[in-house]
Amino acid sequence: MKMNTIKETSQNNFEQCIKCTVCTVYCPVAAVNPLYPGPKQSGPDGERLRLKRPEFYDEALKYCLNCKRCEVACPSNVRIGDIIQLARLKHSKKSPGLREFTLANTDLVGSVATLAAPIVNATVALKPMKAIMDAVVKIDHRRTFPKYSQGTFEGWMRKQREAQAAFERQVAFFHGCYVNYNNPPLGKAFVKVMNALGYGVQLLDKEKCCGVALISNGFVKQARRQAKVNLGSIRTAVIERKLPVLATSSTCTFTLRDEYPHLLGLDNADVRDSVELAVRFIYRLLSSGEVQLRFRKDAPKLRVAYHTACHMEKLGWSCYSKELLAMIPSVEMVPLDSQCCGIAGTYGFKKENYATSQAIGEPLFRKIEESGCDVVSTDCETCKWQIEMSTSKRVLHPLEILADALE
Amino acid sequence: MRYDSVIIGGGLSGLVCGLRLAKAGKRCVIISAGQSALHFSSGSFDLLGALPSGESVGSPAERVAQLIEQEPSHPYAKIGAEAFVETAEAAKQTLVDAGVRVSGDAAQNHYRLTPMGTLKATWLTLDGYVRSATEEGLEWKNVVVMNAEGFLDFYTQFIVDELRKKGTTCRVCSFSLAALDAIRNNPTEMRSANIARIFDGEECIAQLSEIISREAGDSDAVLLPAFLGINRYDVLDELKRRTGRECAVIATLPPSVPGIRTQIALRRAFERAGGVYMLGDTVAGYDEKDGRIERVYTVNHGDIGFSADEFVLATGSFFSRGLEATREAVIEPLFGVDVEQAASRGEWFERDLFAKQPFESFGVATDGEFRALRGGKPLQNLYVCGAGLSGYNPLTEGCGAGVSMLSAVRVSDNILKR
Amino acid sequence: MQKEFDVIIIGGGATGAGVARDCALRGIRALLLERFDIATGATGRNHGLLHSGARYAVNDHESAEECIRENMILRRIASHCVEETGGLFISLPEDGLDFQAKFITACRAAGIAAEAIDPKQALRMEPSVNPALIGAVTVPDGSVDPFRLTAANVLDAKLHGAEVLTYQEVSELIMEQGRVVGVRALDRKSGEMREYRARITVNAGGIWGHNIAKKAGVTVNMLPAKGALLIFGHRVNNVVINRCRKPADADILVPGDTISLIGTTSSKVPFDEVDDMYVTADEVDLLLREGMKLAPSLEHTRILRAYAGVRPLVASDDDPSGRSVSRGIVVLDHATRDGVEGFITITGGKLMTYRLMGEWTTDLICKKLGVEAKCTTAERPLPGSRKEERERTEKKIHALPTLQRESSLHRHGDMAERVEATTAAKRSIVCECEEVSVGEVEYAINALEVNNLVDLRRRTRVGMGTCQGELCACRAAGLMAEMGRYCTSRAKQDLAAFINERWKGMAPVAWGDTLRESEFTKWLYGGVCGLTTKKEEE
Repeated sequence: MKMNTIKETSQNNFEQCIKCTVCTVYCPVAAVNPLYPGPKQSGPDGERLRLKRPEFYDEALKYCLNCKRCEVACPSNVRIGDIIQLARLKHSKKSPGLREFTLANTDLVGSVATLAAPIVNATVALKPMKAIMDAVVKIDHRRTFPKYSQGTFEGWMRKQREAQAAFERQVAFFHGCYVNYNNPPLGKAFVKVMNALGYGVQLLDKEKCCGVALISNGFVKQARRQAKVNLGSIRTAVIERKLPVLATSSTCTFTLRDEYPHLLGLDNADVRDSVELAVRFIYRLLSSGEVQLRFRKDAPKLRVAYHTACHMEKLGWSCYSKELLAMIPSVEMVPLDSQCCGIAGTYGFKKENYATSQAIGEPLFRKIEESGCDVVSTDCETCKWQIEMSTSKRVLHPLEILADALE
Repeated sequence: MRYDSVIIGGGLSGLVCGLRLAKAGKRCVIISAGQSALHFSSGSFDLLGALPSGESVGSPAERVAQLIEQEPSHPYAKIGAEAFVETAEAAKQTLVDAGVRVSGDAAQNHYRLTPMGTLKATWLTLDGYVRSATEEGLEWKNVVVMNAEGFLDFYTQFIVDELRKKGTTCRVCSFSLAALDAIRNNPTEMRSANIARIFDGEECIAQLSEIISREAGDSDAVLLPAFLGINRYDVLDELKRRTGRECAVIATLPPSVPGIRTQIALRRAFERAGGVYMLGDTVAGYDEKDGRIERVYTVNHGDIGFSADEFVLATGSFFSRGLEATREAVIEPLFGVDVEQAASRGEWFERDLFAKQPFESFGVATDGEFRALRGGKPLQNLYVCGAGLSGYNPLTEGCGAGVSMLSAVRVSDNILKR
Repeated sequence: MQKEFDVIIIGGGATGAGVARDCALRGIRALLLERFDIATGATGRNHGLLHSGARYAVNDHESAEECIRENMILRRIASHCVEETGGLFISLPEDGLDFQAKFITACRAAGIAAEAIDPKQALRMEPSVNPALIGAVTVPDGSVDPFRLTAANVLDAKLHGAEVLTYQEVSELIMEQGRVVGVRALDRKSGEMREYRARITVNAGGIWGHNIAKKAGVTVNMLPAKGALLIFGHRVNNVVINRCRKPADADILVPGDTISLIGTTSSKVPFDEVDDMYVTADEVDLLLREGMKLAPSLEHTRILRAYAGVRPLVASDDDPSGRSVSRGIVVLDHATRDGVEGFITITGGKLMTYRLMGEWTTDLICKKLGVEAKCTTAERPLPGSRKEERERTEKKIHALPTLQRESSLHRHGDMAERVEATTAAKRSIVCECEEVSVGEVEYAINALEVNNLVDLRRRTRVGMGTCQGELCACRAAGLMAEMGRYCTSRAKQDLAAFINERWKGMAPVAWGDTLRESEFTKWLYGGVCGLTTKKEEE
C-alpha cells in the first residue's frame, strides 16, 4: 500500500481553519442555543486568542456537547471539537461539583446501584426524588434514568469462562459501564453472535470506565488514571495475547481510540487499530467469506430505523452497522439522516441543558415517528435513553437485533 | 468494501458524477473530506462568461469553439465543441432530476445580481434568485430591497445604488423580528444559515409575510438576502403565496443557504439512487497494480479498503485540498499524479489578486479521456473531474461550475462506456 | 480664515506624532500633516519590539542606554500598547558562548538587567525556544504595538489642541527670504492644494524626509535599508527570542497581540522603490530558515504575510548592509547647519526612542519660539494607559461577552468604555479572527481618524487575523458607507484595494493554508461578489 502525503495532524491544527464557517452550519448546539458562541468562535478563533492570553477563555464553551459533527463537516480537517474540549480542560475555572461527580463516575455509581438495583430504579423514578435531584443537584427532573440491572455483566461472564475458553479463536471485550450495570443482555447478545461466528469472548484483565463522562465533566486527572489502566489491559490483550479488543458502544470505542491521544495526551498508537467496534470486526469477518451466519426462518419481520450516533458519525463506521442490519433476512433497514439526538452522554442530564438537548433532538424524534419503524437501532447507549424517553419507540443495539435473528 | 466506482470528493463534480453512475446501476461510494464548496455558492452555475482574450461571451454554445482555439489545454477542449451543448444539457438535467430547481440555457447566458449590485453573466441560476435576461438592468422597474436588522453579511445599499444606475427605482427596508433577537444577542451567530433556520418556522414565515405586505407598497418585487429555507424548499413560494408579490433573493456572504440546500438535495438523490456517501473521511493510501488503482484506504476505515473498477478524483483545487501547495511545488496529495504548474513559486502569482492568477489554472494533468497522468502516462482507471483539473481559469473565464459539471458528465460517460 | 499654527510637523509616524503631542502638551499650536494614514511608514513596518537596548549594547552604548530608559518610560506611559513579555538572548552551538560574556558586561554597563540563565530554565520559560541552545540571557524586552502607540499620541495631541490632518501630502515648502514659513500640500481626499503657515516646520518624514529636505534646498543623506519580516498565524512564543551574537538577519522573534513575527533581512534599496516594496521569495526563505533556528516549530506554523519596511538611517559611512550605522537620534537645525531658518529635520533613532526624539525636537522648537515649558511626556500616561480610568472602565464593561471585553480592553485600554456595546447590534462581531465589534468599528471611524479600510485595520485589527479580511472587510466597508464615510462605489473600490493590500503580503508566502485562504477569498470577492479592480466606466 502506498501512503499519500496528507498530514493528518499538525501541532497547530487550528491554523488549517480558513474561516469558511461550515462548522457552525452543522453544530447542533449553535442551532438552538444562542448562549453558545459556535464551534468556529469557540474552537480555532478562540484558540488563537487564548494563546495570546488565557483571559480569553469563555465559560460558554461548556455548552459544546462534544459531538464532533463540526469536525466531520470541516473541509479543512480542523479538530474543532478537540480544540474546544482541550480548552475546557485547560482553562475552565469552574470546578466540577456533586452533580458532575455523580454523572461522571458511571462505574462507581453503577457498581453501587446494581447492588440495590430495584430500589435505585424505583427511587430515581419517584417524583420527590426527581425534585430533589433537580433542585439540589441540578439534574433535570424531566429526565428518565437508565435502569440498573440486578447483577453485572462481568458477574455473568465469570460463569461463562470455561465455555468461552473452549473456542479456538478468541476476542477480548471492552463491555463499558452500560453493558455492565444497565444492560447485560446486550453483552450477552454480543457473546452469542461471536460464538456463532466461532469466537470465544474474554474480558480484559481490568476494565475501568472509558472516562468519556469524566472528561466532559472536567475530571481530567481521574480520566487519565482510568485510561492508563484500560490501556494497560488493552496492551496485555493485544500485544501479549494477540487478541483484538472489541466493544459495542460507539462512544467507548471512540474514546479509547481517539480521545485518549487527543484529549488526554496518552499515546495509544501501538494498540489503537486493534480496538474497534464489534460490528466492524463482524463485517470484516463476514465479507472475507470465511464464516457465515445462519438466520432463524421464523424471525418476525422487523422494520428498523438506524440512527447514526454522533461519535459513530465521527468514526465513519455506521456503514458496518447498516450493512449488518441489512443482511438480516427478517429486517428491513431504514437509514435515518445522521443528526444529533441531543443527549451527548451526561450533557442532557444537566438542568441547564435540558431544553437545548430536547430542541436539538426534536427533528430526529419527528423523523423516527414518521419512519413507521418497529424499533430504532443505534450503537450508542445514551442515544438509546434519549430516543426512548422522547419517542414512542424502543431502541436496540444492532447486535441485539442480529443475535435475536440467529438460529 | 467492494464497489463498482469509488468517487473521491463529494462536491458538485463528485456528486454529479456519482449520481449519473448510480442511476446507471453502478454501485458507488463517495468519500468526502468535509463539506464542499457548494456551501459558498453564488446561487448560479457559470458555463462560459468570457474568453481567455477577455472578450465577454453571450452564448457559450456559439463561442466554445473559439475558447478551445484560444486555449487548447482547456478541459472543454476534451469535451469538444460538438458535444458541448449536449454535455451541458446532461449536466443540467442531472441537477433537475435531483430536485435542484435551476433554469438557464447554454445557448444564451443570463445575468445574476451579485451582492455588490452588479449583473454577472451565468448559465444556470437556482430558482428564487434575482436574475435578468440582459446586462442592462432588471426587468423590474420598482423594487424594495429588504434586510434583517443586524445582518452584516448583506449590505443593501451596495445593491440599491447599482440598480438605480440601471434604471430601477429602489427602496431599502430594514426589518426586525422577535425570533431573530435570540441569535442577534449572540455576537457571532447572526449568520445566514442560523437566520434561515428561524425562517423555516411557520410562524416566522407568517410574520415576514406581514412585513413584506406592509412594506412592499407599489413595488414590482421584494428582494431579500438568500437566508431563507435551509431545511425546506418552499419558503420563498410561501412568501409569494401569502403576499401576492414577486419575491426573490440575492446571494449573501457565506455560508450560502441555497448552496447548502443544493448539496443536501444532490446527496439525498445520490443516496436514493443507491450510492453510499461517507462524510468526514480522507483517502490515506492505495494499492496499485500495472497502472491500475485497485483499492484505496481511508483514515476512518483503516485496513478495510475500498476496491473498485474505476476511481474518480473529484477532490477540487487548493481550497478543498485536492491540490496542495508546498514551498517548493504544487502536488496532488492522494496519488501523486502530475500537476501542471509554473516552475517556481515566484511565478505563481500576479500582484493584482483580481487579475488572472497563474495558480488558478494549475491542476492535475489528464489525457483526452480525463484520466490522470503520472510521469506523463495515464493511469488506466483513475479519472479526474472538477476544480482539480488544469488549464483553465474558473473566475476570469466564468466557467468554474461548468468545468466541474461537464467534466463529471464526461467522466461518468467514459466509465459507463468501458 | 486659515488657522494659525506655531509649528507644522510633516510626517505621521511615531516621531511626528510624538513631536505633535509634546508640542501640544507645552502649549504650542501644532499642525501635523501626513500624506497617507498615521504609522504607514517605518513606524508600522518593524518588529514591534519593545527593545531593552540589549541588541545594541555591544556596538552602540549610547543607543542601548537610550533604549532601556525609553523602555521603562513606555511601560508607564503606554501600558496599553506594551506587553511586558521579557526577552531571551539565546546562544546556539554554531554561535558559541564567547559573545555572551561580552554581551552581559555591555548590557550591564548600559543599565540593562541581563542575567545568564540555565538553558533548561530558558526552555521552561519559553517552550518554543530551540532546545539545542547552549546559553540564555534574560533581558527586559517586550513588545509594543506601533499603530496603537502612534494613534494614542495623535489622540492626546488632539486632546491638547493640536490639529492632525491625514492624507495631506506636502508638495512644496513655502520659502520667504531664505526661511521656511509654511507648506503647500495636496489634499489627497479632495484633490485640492492647500497652504499652511507656521514659524517652524519640522521634517519628520522618515526615509521620505530625504526628499522633503530637498524641497528646502538642503541635503540630508539617508540610506534606505529594506528590512523584510514574516508574520506567523498565532503566538508561537510568549517571550521575545533573540540570537546572542552580532546582529544579523532574522534573529529576533517577537510575540505581538495574536501573532508572532520574525525579522529582519537587510538590504540596500534605491529611493524609487521605497514607496512600494515587495518581499521576494528568497527573503522569505531566508527568514524562515533562520527563524527556525530560534523556534523550530516555525517550520510548521502558518505564515500570514510578509512585509518590508525601510529603515530611515542617516548615512554615515558606506556600509552596504546599513547595519553598523548608528541608530542614534539626529536633530538637524537647518538654520545653523544650512542657513535655512524655520526648518528642523528629526531623523535617525528608532521606534523605541520616538518620545525622546519628540522631546529633543520640541526643546529646539521651544528655544526658537521662546517657550519656557518643560517636557512632560515621560510622566503623563497616554490616553488608554491611565491606571485609574482603566479600573473604572474594567468595571463598566464587565458584563460584555468575554472575548469582546478582553479584546476591547487590550486594544483601547481605558478608552474601551467609548466602544458602544449597549445593544446587540453594536456588540455584533465584524472581524471574527480578532474579535472586533460594530461598536468598536464605529468608535474608530468616529474618533480615530479613519478614512478607509486600511486605516481601520490599523486602529482595530480588522482584517489582521488569519483570514486577512475574508468576511470582515466586506462588512466593514458596508459600515463605513452606512456611516457616510464614503459613497458605495468608493466603498467597493476601497474594499477591492483592501483585499489587494492584504494579498500583497500574502502572495510571497502563499503556499499551504495561506494559498487555500487566498483562493477562497478570491472566489468569494471575485466570484460570488463580482468585485473587480477595473475602473468603473462612468
